[in-house]
Amino acid sequence: MYTLTGVTKTYLNGKKAVNALQGIDLNIPDGQMVAVQGPTGGGKSTLLQMLGALDRPTSGSVLLGDEDLAKSSNSRLTKLRASNVGIVFQSFNLIATLTALENVEAALVPLGVPKAQRRERATAALASVGLADRIGHRPAELSGGQQQRVAIARALVKDPKVLLADEPTGNLDEETRDEIIALLEGLWRDQGLTLVIVTHDSQVAARAQRRLHIAKGKLRDTTPASKTPAQARPPADEQPTWAKPADDASPPADASPPAEAAAASPAAAASPAAAESPAAAVSPATPADEA
Amino acid sequence: MLLTYVRRELRGRLRQTAIVAVGLALAVALILAVTAASSGVRNAQSSVLDSIYGVGTDITVTQSAQPGQGGGEQFTFGGQAPGSTSSDANTNVSSDNLRLAPGSAAIKDASVNSVRSTQGVADVTATLMLRQTNFSGQVSGQNLDDLRQQFRAQRGGGVTGPQGFTGFGGGDFNVNSLTVEGVQPGATALGPLSGAEVVSGGRAFTAADAKANVALLSKSYADTNKLAVGGTVTVKGTAMKIVGLLDSGTSGTSLSDVYLPLGVAQSLADLSGQVTNLYVQASSSGSVDTAAAAIKKVLPDATVQTQSDLANGISGSLSSASSLVSKLGKWLSIAVLAAAFVLAILFTISGVTRRTRDFGTLKAIGWSNGRIVRQVGVESLVQGAIGGLVGLGAGLIGIWAINSSHIKLAGTTSSGAFSVARGAAFDGGAEGGGPFGGGGGGYGAGGAGTGGGGGARRTASSTVDVLLHAPVHWSVIGLGIGLALVGGLLAGMFGGWRASRLRPAAALRSLD
Ligand SMILES: Nc1ncnc2c1ncn2[C@@H]1O[C@H](COP(=O)(O)OP(=O)(O)O)[C@@H](O)[C@H]1O
Ligand SMILES: [Mg+2]
Repeated sequence: MYTLTGVTKTYLNGKKAVNALQGIDLNIPDGQMVAVQGPTGGGKSTLLQMLGALDRPTSGSVLLGDEDLAKSSNSRLTKLRASNVGIVFQSFNLIATLTALENVEAALVPLGVPKAQRRERATAALASVGLADRIGHRPAELSGGQQQRVAIARALVKDPKVLLADEPTGNLDEETRDEIIALLEGLWRDQGLTLVIVTHDSQVAARAQRRLHIAKGKLRDTTPASKTPAQARPPADEQPTWAKPADDASPPADASPPAEAAAASPAAAASPAAAESPAAAVSPATPADEA
Repeated sequence: MLLTYVRRELRGRLRQTAIVAVGLALAVALILAVTAASSGVRNAQSSVLDSIYGVGTDITVTQSAQPGQGGGEQFTFGGQAPGSTSSDANTNVSSDNLRLAPGSAAIKDASVNSVRSTQGVADVTATLMLRQTNFSGQVSGQNLDDLRQQFRAQRGGGVTGPQGFTGFGGGDFNVNSLTVEGVQPGATALGPLSGAEVVSGGRAFTAADAKANVALLSKSYADTNKLAVGGTVTVKGTAMKIVGLLDSGTSGTSLSDVYLPLGVAQSLADLSGQVTNLYVQASSSGSVDTAAAAIKKVLPDATVQTQSDLANGISGSLSSASSLVSKLGKWLSIAVLAAAFVLAILFTISGVTRRTRDFGTLKAIGWSNGRIVRQVGVESLVQGAIGGLVGLGAGLIGIWAINSSHIKLAGTTSSGAFSVARGAAFDGGAEGGGPFGGGGGGYGAGGAGTGGGGGARRTASSTVDVLLHAPVHWSVIGLGIGLALVGGLLAGMFGGWRASRLRPAAALRSLD
């Protein structure tokens, strides 16, 4: 799905240059669920912007499929955002004046979907996140968890290839957090999405097939070596793996691959469809030297 | 979606919507009321002007007399003057004197044609303002030469003041004067008669009257002198058949006593080919100034005045209202409009800034810049339209209030060469006696002459009361709403520009 090569992003804060990303090499196969962790200011959101075609890197290339986002025009990026990328934010980012239904419909507007069909698809998307009875409510009339469900419906109504989530549970209580993560995971599994979740929560990260860690603009693959393909894609009915605590604050020095090995090698591309067959194993990224 | 979102936003942010709309509404209402009031005042001014210059006159042309020249009093008491007989002690004198009205000078009527062919001139008509003085009665005990000399001394160079005739034993005589105006027969749409109405039973001049000895009389003159249609009036010894009586009607036109066909008047006064006043109609209101300038070139010695020059000569509450409306009203509404625009722009920009996350989010989910700009623009335009409609309502209420308070404006015309020329003629007529004081009074005894008249021109002033009516014109309504929409559009452009500069990544950045 994604191939990032030598991606840097430098922001100019007044006269001071901030190197938010410093040479990221990364391959994300189709259908993979990736968790991105790291300290605040480490560059997680910046990476997500590169993946989501929200911004272009200062240097390097970001291939989505075989299209280099670094070289695409603004209008092309807009089209890609409209059709290929669904995005979920920490603070839900719903339009406060629009109803749940209208918020979801808004995602279909740039695709030129006719009104009636728009309404139908948006209603179905809201139903699929369990909000069939809330379609006429304003965001302020919904709980945080419900708002995030609306946002997820908005991200998915366009049938994107990629779902990006930037700390989607950051503003939610623990119980709601579990619901949302379960929802995302279920959708990921059912719809064959490539899912990238930025999270501070190791229990959430532990659910992912792949764990990445970004600090000071540098990326490390921290997928535990122990992580088997089976664990990487837990069945829906299985106990969440985040039941066992993991300390995210201190990156696991033991399990982590060499810090320099920033990129994950493109293991067998795992598609959720393939996951149905036990034979199609999803190999966790193993630290590999970059070409 | 666009309109749904617009509706939701405007309703969801009622306070901002209301502030911007009310600002624009205020400006629109003020502009409407001020524009209507000022055109009401302008109408009042032009009806005052119409009462003096006739309807439809945009430019007047006169030539004022050089000192010592032109029409002062001048009697001809030839020993054998018509109607004068002599006896031992008393001399019977009678004289008809028809001259240019005091203060005015003649313009060659060939120049009428040059004016007519001047660019920007639609129509022109000329009149000849005359005054006839009838002097009749008996003079006793002195020879006429003395009288004549003293009379000349009196008027020469326009001397004024109580300066009686001396050595002169009194007498018994009358001095009457009347204003006589030669008008172009058939030209009724423009000029002094355009505002007058022909009293039923008579008729106006027609082109066929050009050389006929016919007259139109002002109704008041006819009534005073017990004259009627079918009768005759004598001008310079010639009997003129009265064909019609004139009433100033609603226009309040100040009428001369007697109107004659221009050619007839010219030959009676020995002023053939000469006129005193030109009434010019411009081909459009926009061409008045250029036409006036062109006429000035054709007639460099003449006084050329446009309606607005003439309007400046109006004093009284009408002129205060006019300057109030044109100065304060205009600047106030411009200031309020500018403030409303700035308010709308600032509020829209700050609204967009507050919605940074919304627009960033919409961009992040694939909305194009164009769509966002359109969204902001339409929101702002709708706000403008609401402001325009509310302002229209408020403005109409304001205009209704102006009209229902029945404001009466008094306009006094006093200055300007044109009204001097006409006014002096009327003035003299009203005085009915010029330097001789009341007719019939004994001369001698250093008779305190009343001054006035003669070479001395008293400024005529006539006051007309006009009810202020502020008209509502479609163009003004259009202007008001148009300005509100322009305000909305302007604000939308600034807001849209601001929104288009937001990066989609702002969705992730701006938390809260
Ligand atoms: N638009 C921006 N302008 C300037 N600096 C920025 C901008 N966006 C991010 N940064 C900086 O880049 C670094 C990475 O930020 P970010 O990707 O948001 O980190 P994270 O999401 O991991 O907290 C931080 O130092 C941040 O201050
Ligand atoms: Mg972040």
